Parts: sequence; C-alpha cells; structure tokens
Amino acid sequence: MTDVIFTEKLTKHYKDVQAVTEVNLNIKQGEIYGFLGLNGAGKTTTIRMLMGMIRPTGGSAYLFGKKVKPGVSKLWNSVGHMVEIPFAYPELTVQENLRIFYRLRLLKDPLLLTTVVEKLDLGKYLNTRVKNLSLGNAQRLGLAKAMIHRPDLLILDEPANGLDPAGIVQIREQLLDLAENHGVTIFISSHILGEISRFASRIGIIHEGRMIRESEVDQLDSSRHRSLQINTLDNSKALPLLKEHGYNTRVLPGGILESTHKKAISQPEKVSALLVSHGLPPKLIAVDEEDLEHYFLRIIQTEDQKS
Amino acid sequence: MKRLQAALWVEFLKVRRTKILPVSFFFFMFIGVMMGMLLFLSMHPELASHSSTISMKTSFLGGSDWNAFYELLIQIILTVGVIGFGFITSWSFGREFSDRAIKDLLALPVSRTTLVISKFLVLFVWSILLGITVLLTAMGTGLLIQIPGWSPAALYPFIGKYMVCVFLNALIITPVALVASIGRGYMLPISFVILILIITQLIFVGLPGLSFWFPWAIPSLYSRVAGEAIPAPGIISYLLFLITILAGLFGTLFWWRYADHK
Repeated sequence: MTDVIFTEKLTKHYKDVQAVTEVNLNIKQGEIYGFLGLNGAGKTTTIRMLMGMIRPTGGSAYLFGKKVKPGVSKLWNSVGHMVEIPFAYPELTVQENLRIFYRLRLLKDPLLLTTVVEKLDLGKYLNTRVKNLSLGNAQRLGLAKAMIHRPDLLILDEPANGLDPAGIVQIREQLLDLAENHGVTIFISSHILGEISRFASRIGIIHEGRMIRESEVDQLDSSRHRSLQINTLDNSKALPLLKEHGYNTRVLPGGILESTHKKAISQPEKVSALLVSHGLPPKLIAVDEEDLEHYFLRIIQTEDQKS
Repeated sequence: MKRLQAALWVEFLKVRRTKILPVSFFFFMFIGVMMGMLLFLSMHPELASHSSTISMKTSFLGGSDWNAFYELLIQIILTVGVIGFGFITSWSFGREFSDRAIKDLLALPVSRTTLVISKFLVLFVWSILLGITVLLTAMGTGLLIQIPGWSPAALYPFIGKYMVCVFLNALIITPVALVASIGRGYMLPISFVILILIITQLIFVGLPGLSFWFPWAIPSLYSRVAGEAIPAPGIISYLLFLITILAGLFGTLFWWRYADHK
C-alpha cells in the first residue's frame, strides 16, 4: 500500500541555516505520527514542505503517492492542515471564516459546517469576530478549518497550543476517533513527548534539522532508563554488600544508592531481603523510571554530544 | 469557473466586511465634492480673497466653466487614481501577509493563481467604482453650484476620456500587488505608490521627455492634461505601459505560486 506521507531525503537549507537535512518519512494510512522536536528543530519547516508552502532545496515529499509541487491543487482536497499559530481574518466572524474555507474547498454539504462547529464547540462563538476570540477558541477555529472537509490526512503543527486541559483531552479523543474509526492519517508535531505519546502510534524525533530517532510508541517503555533507588541506615556498608552480590550499584550525589542491574529492577524484593538479612533494612527502595520528557532530552543531549 | 466563482465570493466577502470599503468611497466622494467647491470658489473669487492658498489653487483652473471643471476632474482622477487604487491594492494583498492568513490559502483545491486573479478582478471593479464615485459626486456638485457653460456635446467626450483614465489607472495596480507580496505587508507597497506619485510629478515638471518612458505617466499623457504642447504617447509608450501591467500580473502570480511562504 502507498504511504500516505513519504519523504525522501527532504532538505531545506537557507544561506547560512540548515533548517532540515535529509528527513525520510513513511507514514501509513490510519497512523498517528508524532513529530517531536524542540523549538527551531525543523518541525514547521518540514510541515511547510509537506504542504508545498516552501520548496525543498533537496529531496522530495509525496502525499498519497503524488509529488508535492506547485499546481497540485486537487491533492489538497484530501488534506487538512494547521500550520503554527492559527490566524484568521480578524474582522470576520467565526462563521464567515468557516464559510470562506467551505467555499474555497468547493464543499456542497452544509451539514459539514454544522458538524465541525459542533465537534469543536464553536456554536457559541459563530457570530463572534475572530479578533475577539480567546487563544484557545482561535485554536479550535484553526482545527475546524483543517477538519471541515473531512480530510484523509490531517497535518497539525502543535495543535495543543493555547488549549486548556479539557480542550486538549477533547481534541486528543477526536483525533484518536478519526484515526481508529475513520482511517484518517494524522501527522502531528509537538515538543511535548508526554502529550504526544498518549495517542500517537509512532514518533519521530527531529533535532537541528535531522531525524535522530524513530520508534513505535510501544517501544518507548523499553528505551527509557530505569533504576532501583535504595537508602539504608548505613549506605557505606550496603554498597559493597550489593556489589558483592552482583548488583551494579553507585552512590548518587545525595548519598542514595542506585542500581541499574536488571535483576534489581525486576525483583526489588530480593534486594530488600538481602539488606534486611545483613542488618541493613532499607528506609527507601523504589524503582525509578525516567519520565518521557527526560528521555526526550537525553536523546537530544546524546545527539549533541555525538556531534 | 467554479473555482473562480468561489474565490470571487470569498474576496467579495472580505472586501464587504472591511472598513476600508466605506472609507474609500467616502474619500472619493469627498474629492468629488471638493473639486466642485474649488470651482465654486473660482466662480466667486471674492469668497477666497482672504486665503492666498485657495486663491492660488483656483488660479490654476483655466476658467470657471464646465470645460475647466472637466479638465480639473481629469487631473484629479489621475492623481487620486494612483493613490487610491494603489492603496486598496496594498490593503488587499498586504493584509493576507499582515494578518498571516496567507498560509491557509496556499494548499487548497482553489489554486493560488485563481485566488490572485480573483483579487485583481475585485480590485479592478472596486477601482472603477471609485472613479465613477468621484465623477458622479463632482458632476452633482457642479450642477448644484450651477457652473456656467453646460454643453452636452462636451460632456460625452469628457466622460469617455475620464473613464479611460480611470481604466488605465485601474490596470496599472498590478506592480503594487507584486510589491505587497514581496514585501509581505502594507508598508512597502504604500511607500511604492507614494514614490511613483513623486516620480511622476518630478518627471512632468523637470524632465518631460522622460514621461514617455515612465508607465505611470502614460494615462496623463493620454489625457493631454499637460497641454497640447506635449505630444500624445506613441505605440512604444503604450507598449511599455502594457509590459508593466503584465509584469506586475505575472510577477504576482509567479510569486504566489513559487516563492517560499515562511
């Protein structure tokens, strides 16, 4: 089956800035792909190239098997997008802004307008001028413009910006529903791994314009650092004892002991029993799991050290 | 056609809801009335005897009859045409960049080319209507103040010449659109319009020979507003005028289609 999104060494270099370098993507139908990176990593530039808004200096992008290039207007019938902070015509109302895209997308079913307004809770604001909307509602309008024509592919650049927690959950559930029940492919950029990992099926991490990691979300757990943290009444005696029994252990700056030994992490009760049997009952024994943001930063730092 | 219709509907909605639309018509109505008032002062010099500025302005008029009024209206539409039509063009194209709405217009079933053409069509009609507004309000004011020497025989050639001047000025907005697109906002095209106006005036005053090579001077040359001593523009001048319009049009289309929209 043809990839919905396929890029081959997609590159954008400006005079003195290498914004994106040889990014390869292949995203299948129904996938939710989380595109992660810090600010300025190259996420928006990649999205703009996917949408034909800027031309690559190298490589190519394909959507539904068709090369993205000037003049491929029909291709955009199947794609909905929201790039960066959503802007709309400020002196027009929410309804008028939506009608603009209803017309420009050549839609003929007024139900599409009603449905998207309901889905994004914009009913109350239909007659509000956009310049008077809150950031969160402007974001909802941006999403409504992207989703009004029920596209097969949604390309969203940081859609959670400006939304309150309830809004984030609502949008997340809608995106999940679109992918799982309607086969919509979703390409979503973010700089928050914790958020994206809740509903993406696959993630790619971009740093300084290069893809540095791609993995299934299910595999994230096994990639994250885990350790067993131990504190006893006398850590100076506990340390050699643990080492003697084969548990790799070190002293953390606060004096607490940390073991990254697999057996220690999977069977902390055995470590506890060992310490108790030698008169060193633990005051603290807990498996510590690296959180997603630390994992994300570690990957990036590792990359920085390499270069 | 369906796509152009959709784009025109959208462009019309945007224009209809902006304050610039009524402001532009009020401004052009004001100009029409003011021209009538200027001729009224020329008819009654005693009213302006205390103001040397007004007296000086009325002294430029070649008389106080309808023929002088027609000449005045041609002169004024040549100037306010460049400013007014240039200004609405700067707004129409510049606002897409200033409001950052452009990025939502670049990946749609309606092509960028269609969007740009619809903008030009709406601007052209808008400009023509503004030109007619000055004409109607000025003529109304002229009738109200009872300018002497009314002659239907002179009216029709004047209207013909006036409308050609409006038409020519409405066509040469395309380079302003290109400057607005490259400059990504209002400031650069508005500065460009002012510069064009200054250059046109300077050429006419200081280097009249150059005016035949300056596209924005062609409507003035066509109107013979500078007097019969300066010859009418030749084929090369009209060709340069046409090339400028086409360069603006295709430059804008090319820019929207191929430039990087960051």
